[in-house]
Amino acid sequence: MPELSSPLPPEDRLVLLPKNPGTFFVFWRFSESRADLFRLASFSPEIELRLSCADDRTPASSHRAQWQAGRAYLPVPERGGNCSAALYALRNGAWERLLDSNQAAAPAAAGAAGDRAYASLEFHKKALS
Amino acid sequence: MSSRGSLLFLLHAHLPYVNHPEDSAFLEENWFFEAVVETYVPIISALERLAAEGIRPGVTISISPTLGAMLENEALEAKLGLYVASRLELIEKELARTQDEPALCRTVKLYQKLYGDAAKLIHKYSGDLITPLKALQHAGQIEIMITSATHAVLPLLARPEAVRAQLAAAAEDYEDRFNRKPSGFWLPECAYEPRLNSYLKLSGFNYTFTESHAVEPAAAQVPDGVYSPYRTSNGLGLFARDAASSREVWSSKTGYPGDPAYREFYRDLGYDGDYEYLRPYFGEDGIRRPLGLKYHRITGTGADLASREYYDPDAAQARVEAHASDFLARRLKQTEDFYAARGTGPLIVSCYDAELFGHWWFEGPAFLEAVIRKIRTERLPLQFVTPSEYLNSCQEPVEIAPAISSWGENGYFDPWVNESNDFIYPAVYAATDKMIETANRFRNQDLSLLSSRALNQAARETLLSQSSDWAFLIYIGSHAEYAKKRLEGHAASALKLLGEVIEKKVDEKDLAALEKQNSVFPKLDFRIFASVSKF
Repeated sequence: MPELSSPLPPEDRLVLLPKNPGTFFVFWRFSESRADLFRLASFSPEIELRLSCADDRTPASSHRAQWQAGRAYLPVPERGGNCSAALYALRNGAWERLLDSNQAAAPAAAGAAGDRAYASLEFHKKALS
Repeated sequence: MSSRGSLLFLLHAHLPYVNHPEDSAFLEENWFFEAVVETYVPIISALERLAAEGIRPGVTISISPTLGAMLENEALEAKLGLYVASRLELIEKELARTQDEPALCRTVKLYQKLYGDAAKLIHKYSGDLITPLKALQHAGQIEIMITSATHAVLPLLARPEAVRAQLAAAAEDYEDRFNRKPSGFWLPECAYEPRLNSYLKLSGFNYTFTESHAVEPAAAQVPDGVYSPYRTSNGLGLFARDAASSREVWSSKTGYPGDPAYREFYRDLGYDGDYEYLRPYFGEDGIRRPLGLKYHRITGTGADLASREYYDPDAAQARVEAHASDFLARRLKQTEDFYAARGTGPLIVSCYDAELFGHWWFEGPAFLEAVIRKIRTERLPLQFVTPSEYLNSCQEPVEIAPAISSWGENGYFDPWVNESNDFIYPAVYAATDKMIETANRFRNQDLSLLSSRALNQAARETLLSQSSDWAFLIYIGSHAEYAKKRLEGHAASALKLLGEVIEKKVDEKDLAALEKQNSVFPKLDFRIFASVSKF
């Protein structure tokens, strides 16, 4: 999996981005002090990402990942719309909310969208074949 | 004959900002030189020719601020002059080499004219190709739009401050370049989401464009489909792209550019010719690369590159005429069908990347010119209109709520967010968040000139890190290392400069080097990133 060439300053950040009608992309980073809590096993290595509907804060879904993974793709909840994510970590058997994301809107699926996209990609991709 | 339908033909011209003054020849700067010779000069020449003959082109061109900056960059203009002179020198040698091969020699002469015309137009405008475009707009022949500052895919910028900065820098850049306020805004990659309505309106834009599937779900409730402009709840005009006319030109498989008579893009003298003979025209590394002299035609589907036949300029021109007629016949059919059903004329919105015309599709500029000429000479009941003209003359558009969409692969954001390129976003957001935080901290403070310069350059670097081009190039695997290096470099430079301002340790020499290399937006004020912006 491709990575950045050099590390970024350690900061707490959780960002949710739209990808397509079925998928959100989420990435997270931790400050040095938070990362230490994972390294020292104060937190369990597995984090939980919880999606909720931004309009009424209704919980929609949750997904587990390793804390160092830094990014994940999450299925868009069935009802779609505006969502936000929260990152939880487990300490002493209890989930602690560590980070909150921005709101992101999931696109609604349009039947023929794929057929209609004729951006330059088609020409660029030909170069690879 | 009076018009029964209107065509809105939009060319979106954009290149990522590539400027390497430290190198006498830099490979990726060739993107700009090739686009100038193959696309921008032929299109400007065609528009000027039509206007001189009293045929108003009426096309709309969106010019990205990064491309505008390159078109006005004197160092790049000087390198462009050398590039064109070098190609003309090679063409002279090719004319001698191919003199006993008439079929080939005719194509070499075509390139002699192409590069010769480029040299003449560049000389005529002292290297600044913005000048003729500005004159054409001033004379009412065309309309020029703007896009975001560095072609960021705006729905992927989560922070409102970042979106506002992309819009504010673009609007100011347009006003400086074209001496008027911009009216229209081309959404990079046609990427739309509802929160952009208010940002666009507050930044002074009157209209924008979306993909057809952005309006079709809502347009099902209104009878005009994509053949009419709409408005958002806050009064932003909205034009939806017509899928059919787009596909006829865009598709390399079923569209016009795939015709067997047209020039083959991927067969190039740089790969075919004798290495020692061509060595002076490759870069310092001596690696074979395209030289822009392509002598073969597509020939047929399935034919491998080696079996392509020689290009025949006359045969290609005949297909241009046929395709222009076919394009117009299809638009007339759309118009007549719509008119029969609704009793009113449709607006057909056809949007393309400008670089498709000439660079990828060599015959594209001739096609565009032929389409415009035929409407006049064949007295067709169609007219080319620009967005502002149409909005000024049409009935009040119906209000709709468009859907999130883009014109990229699959219709959403997959090309810019996927497992090949998603690693870039932590760097983009690190720079962006730090820029916003620092702008908020210093926006009301008296600053030394050095600190102001550093903050303004950090803002430039942050904007450049947000460009859609880096994610796209990484995704398609073309110049991926360069794209990665550029993105990381801009983000790192922004973070370094911001850190230096906070610590009052700005390295003036490094700052000056960055200002020279990344000299876009000369009047940029870092405060455009502040949460409560002064703009």
